[in-house]
Amino acid sequence: MELGPIWRAILRNKGSYLLIALQIAVTMAIMVNAIAIMQERTTKMARPSGTDEDNIITLSSIPFAPDVDVRSMIDEDLAMLRSMAGVRDAFASNSFPLRGGGWSMGLATEPGAGHDGIGTAIYFSDEHAIETFGTSLIDGRNFAHDEISWNDEAVNKWPATGIITSALARELFPDEQGTVVGKTVFINENDPVKIVGILDRLQAPWDGWDHIENAMLVPQRLDNEYMRYLIRTEPGARDALIPLIEEALAKNKDRIIEDVRTMNEVRERSYTGDAAMIKMLSFIVILLTAITGLGIVGLASFSVSRRTRQIGVRRALGATRPAILRYFMIENFIVSSVGILAGGIFAVALNIFMVQAFSLTPLAWYVVPIAMIILWLVGQVAVAGPARRASAISPAIATRSI
Amino acid sequence: MLQMKNVSKVYRTDTVETHALREFSLTVEEGEFVSVTGPSGSGKTTFLNIAGLLEELTGGSYELDGRDISKLNDKERSRVRNEKIGFIFQSFNLIPELNIFDNVDVPLRYRRFDAAERKKRIVDSLEMVGLASRLQHMPAQLSGGQQQRVAIARALAGEPRFLLADEPTGNLDSNMADSVMQLLADINSTGTTIIMVTHELTLADRARRNIFVRDGRVSDSAGNLQLAAAS
Repeated sequence: MELGPIWRAILRNKGSYLLIALQIAVTMAIMVNAIAIMQERTTKMARPSGTDEDNIITLSSIPFAPDVDVRSMIDEDLAMLRSMAGVRDAFASNSFPLRGGGWSMGLATEPGAGHDGIGTAIYFSDEHAIETFGTSLIDGRNFAHDEISWNDEAVNKWPATGIITSALARELFPDEQGTVVGKTVFINENDPVKIVGILDRLQAPWDGWDHIENAMLVPQRLDNEYMRYLIRTEPGARDALIPLIEEALAKNKDRIIEDVRTMNEVRERSYTGDAAMIKMLSFIVILLTAITGLGIVGLASFSVSRRTRQIGVRRALGATRPAILRYFMIENFIVSSVGILAGGIFAVALNIFMVQAFSLTPLAWYVVPIAMIILWLVGQVAVAGPARRASAISPAIATRSI
Repeated sequence: MLQMKNVSKVYRTDTVETHALREFSLTVEEGEFVSVTGPSGSGKTTFLNIAGLLEELTGGSYELDGRDISKLNDKERSRVRNEKIGFIFQSFNLIPELNIFDNVDVPLRYRRFDAAERKKRIVDSLEMVGLASRLQHMPAQLSGGQQQRVAIARALAGEPRFLLADEPTGNLDSNMADSVMQLLADINSTGTTIIMVTHELTLADRARRNIFVRDGRVSDSAGNLQLAAAS
């Protein structure tokens, strides 16, 4: 191994090597933090909504006729939908996970204005909600049919019972070791809500919300234009049912049906920005890595051209072709290592800054080593061509006057 | 011993075929100091390249120490160059980014000597050329004569059987040239075979045997340079 002489030769001619090492360092820092952001977005996108997404259809039913009996229409629609072959269950709500819009309230364990509430999404529901969402009840009970009421905006009274997610239960009662079923929380400062059931998981409608795992089902139904139907189908029946459902609902000419979407489409729309960010960052990382690789190719090619005679002399003095190849590979490895190590430090420093400034998730321990390996490989692949050309230089060059 | 029989070397391009050597035959015995002279383009350097295994011959046979060189692959040729042959070039060909120590070290590393052995050989060979105190100097910090002495030290460090010198004094003034020639004579007196290509007849005359090359052939190997030059 010629590490010593190569290192000393680099130090005596460090200008161009320093530039490429700097380029590698910058690439490393950007690559690592871009990977961290992509990883964070990917993790965010992979969070389960708590619903049976593959088998749920959502749609809006917007009544427009002036004298339409909305409540009857909803009851008839849901009865019809539940009776369709392939439909597992259906209900009407104000919103659902990943929709992007909904209703949130604060829940407190003590009544009164002086207590900080814990934010939660509110889903107006009935006894079919749990089955339709496809979530599971891990404690307590479902709503009974006779608990369900229509929301009356004039009265503005919250129902007396609620089913909350396990995440919300832990946040409301962090010290509670036993069940929280039967406990009372307060909504709208003083309205008591008795917890009758705990859901394993059900996300709020907003994917960027800090309390996304907090949701509460209330046994109340809305009859306004913001109502949306959720229909859960048997596995594999969803796509075939969509046109049948639209056709069946369209028979009632007093309303329009729109925004017919599967939950998979809802998820895709919800995370459009994150998916675009991942694509953009991937492109930037690939582009930067390619530019760095080309930079290494350029420097190595220039280095080989500049040292053609020297290579010929080395060959004349006994260097084999693999020895010349190895020389350039080692030289590149040393220069890359300087850039990669500097870039590693720069990347961690940048990540610390981004965590503090933009609340980014700290780097996973393995991202920096993986990025190092990638850049080392890119460097070695990039230098392989020029190094091969160098190894093909004839030793007779040593005696030529060039 | 070096023995070439009817060696030919042809350079071919798409349109031109150049015969650099034609039926070139030469035998150099162990311990000889042979000079090779001839006009420009006569084939001197091509002969040196083939003798030094820097190029492959087109035809004929070449034996070095009784070994048929034409049958060696690239790796074996590199090994023979490294172990048996020392090169001295007209333009010294020191590696500018390496100091004197590292320059002399280059062929020894390819020989895979251990660090202690390499250091001993480097110091010994630089002492022989009178430059042991310049180990850490860079080539650019030395005069032309000193650089050529370093190149000679580099060639000698591996204790080669053959020393091939290509116009070794071509870039030196007469004083330095004289000192380098004296050094070569001293080296030859220790038993190292030297083949020196030069176009200067006065220098060639200092060798024990002179070869005159013309049109790729040995024109005169009897030692009569004056006759060869006149012809």
